[in-house]
Amino acid sequence: MEIKLLKKGYKNNEQFYKDFLEDQVKNKEEYFSDEVAFIDVTPDFPIYIAQGSESTKSELFHQAFDAISDSYLHTNRDIHFDELFWHSLLAVYKRDYLLEQYPQINDGLNHFNNIVLKDFNWENYIYKCVLGAQYINDAISDVSERKRYYSLIIDNLDVFNYIIKYEIFRNDKFLINILDIIDELKLSKVLKSKITGRDDLGKDERVGRRVIFEFNKSYPIIMSPMLEKDDLKELFLQYLVYYYQDTKQLQLIE
Amino acid sequence: MIYKKDANFPYPLLTNTSTSYESSNFILDVNLHENSYNYRFEISYEIDSQFVNKLIENEQAQLVLVIQSKDNKFFYIKPEDKYIEIQKSRISISNRTTIQLHLQSKAEINFKDNDDLSYFYSQFKEDIVVLRNSILGFSNVVIFEGSSTKPLELFEKKVNPDIKSDIKIELGSETIIIHYKNEQLQFNDSPMSNTLNNPYIYMGLQKALYRFIVNNSDDGEQVDLEQIDAPTDNLDLKFYNLMKKKMINELSIDNIDEVIYSISDKILEKYAGAVRGLSLNGN
Repeated sequence: MEIKLLKKGYKNNEQFYKDFLEDQVKNKEEYFSDEVAFIDVTPDFPIYIAQGSESTKSELFHQAFDAISDSYLHTNRDIHFDELFWHSLLAVYKRDYLLEQYPQINDGLNHFNNIVLKDFNWENYIYKCVLGAQYINDAISDVSERKRYYSLIIDNLDVFNYIIKYEIFRNDKFLINILDIIDELKLSKVLKSKITGRDDLGKDERVGRRVIFEFNKSYPIIMSPMLEKDDLKELFLQYLVYYYQDTKQLQLIE
Repeated sequence: MIYKKDANFPYPLLTNTSTSYESSNFILDVNLHENSYNYRFEISYEIDSQFVNKLIENEQAQLVLVIQSKDNKFFYIKPEDKYIEIQKSRISISNRTTIQLHLQSKAEINFKDNDDLSYFYSQFKEDIVVLRNSILGFSNVVIFEGSSTKPLELFEKKVNPDIKSDIKIELGSETIIIHYKNEQLQFNDSPMSNTLNNPYIYMGLQKALYRFIVNNSDDGEQVDLEQIDAPTDNLDLKFYNLMKKKMINELSIDNIDEVIYSISDKILEKYAGAVRGLSLNGN
């Protein structure tokens, strides 16, 4: 199908928001440029996964990973990694679905911005799922293994966010290596835990974020994104003890 | 990550600007081709150091091609590899793509037999040992700018009766857009209409440069143009190139007006001349 692309100026636009609510966007030529994107099918999937219990969110993430893998990932990156494509698809073609799933869009422009027209970066759920699905799909061919890795991403979302936030770590091999290390050493809980007794750091510092940050600091002397898993694991543990000193737990690891 | 400037390393590095090697050449050349499904990056490189080339031959060092667009891709390159292909579903080159060749150690490397180092190291090169998985050198950066549709234009003018002020200056993705509530405000009926718009141009430059500082500095106050990487934002990139061309080293809240004076062609002087000319003509 053909997705008509929006013209610049739709963001933070009260009238556009009003027309979205009143189902008028598609009738107003002035919102569109002459350009279109082509895509075979565009199934619905969760695009905003901020609320609900952990198990609900996990289920929604799996739905998103599956739909993206099945129907979007094979298109050119100029489409599925492009903000304009997603904003156009959502605001013009997914209105009913979005209003039904996320009724808070009715409550104001800020909700509309935050759910429908969210900037396409690491904080955007579609972006997270596109990158996650892409990295896992390209490296893992077995379907049930893919699901296991999706679960690892979901269970370690905080670390995943930090990995895709830093440009140098936005890479399939690095992500999979880190997920493997966390899984093998059962570090998920440790990495999510808050750092205590370090007033020199920020208020809500998590162990996992700081470990990724250490990799960032030591690059390029240590070319971590290109390392083999075992080399990476050694460094990972070295950085981990900077921020986590519960020796009982760490002995279990070693 | 791509290196555009010389970082300090605790051991000699082979780069195109390094003084550690007697003849320091690590040149990468890339040609981009495409078909319906793939981009093909044809690569050729040249490394001057025999010592380094030998390391690659003996597999003590590994060439890594880094392709950075919206994410990073790494490819281990063997000397006989002539190109790598990437599906269009995995890379987009509509934005800036940067490419660099890195050299990574695969074993601990002693520099005692490195006869290519500059004289400075001759006395103590046997003491230089580089650990495994460290960077030994990097090439120049090859850049594909993507389809920036307006490479030179800085400004666009539009009439937009819906704006809530007479003039609205918008920072677009590639240009500064000046919205006028009506055509009269553009002085279209005057022979000097272009020059008479210069104050708006000035305001647009000011706004864009303020944002440049915010986007590209740590403290929101000043940007050392020698130190920062080329910005990814297309409008910022145009200013970056323009300022570099005009040999401006620093942009700060304090020197914005001087910078505008340097990068623009006496726009206020011309404006003053135009107004004076009109008033002398009794117009």
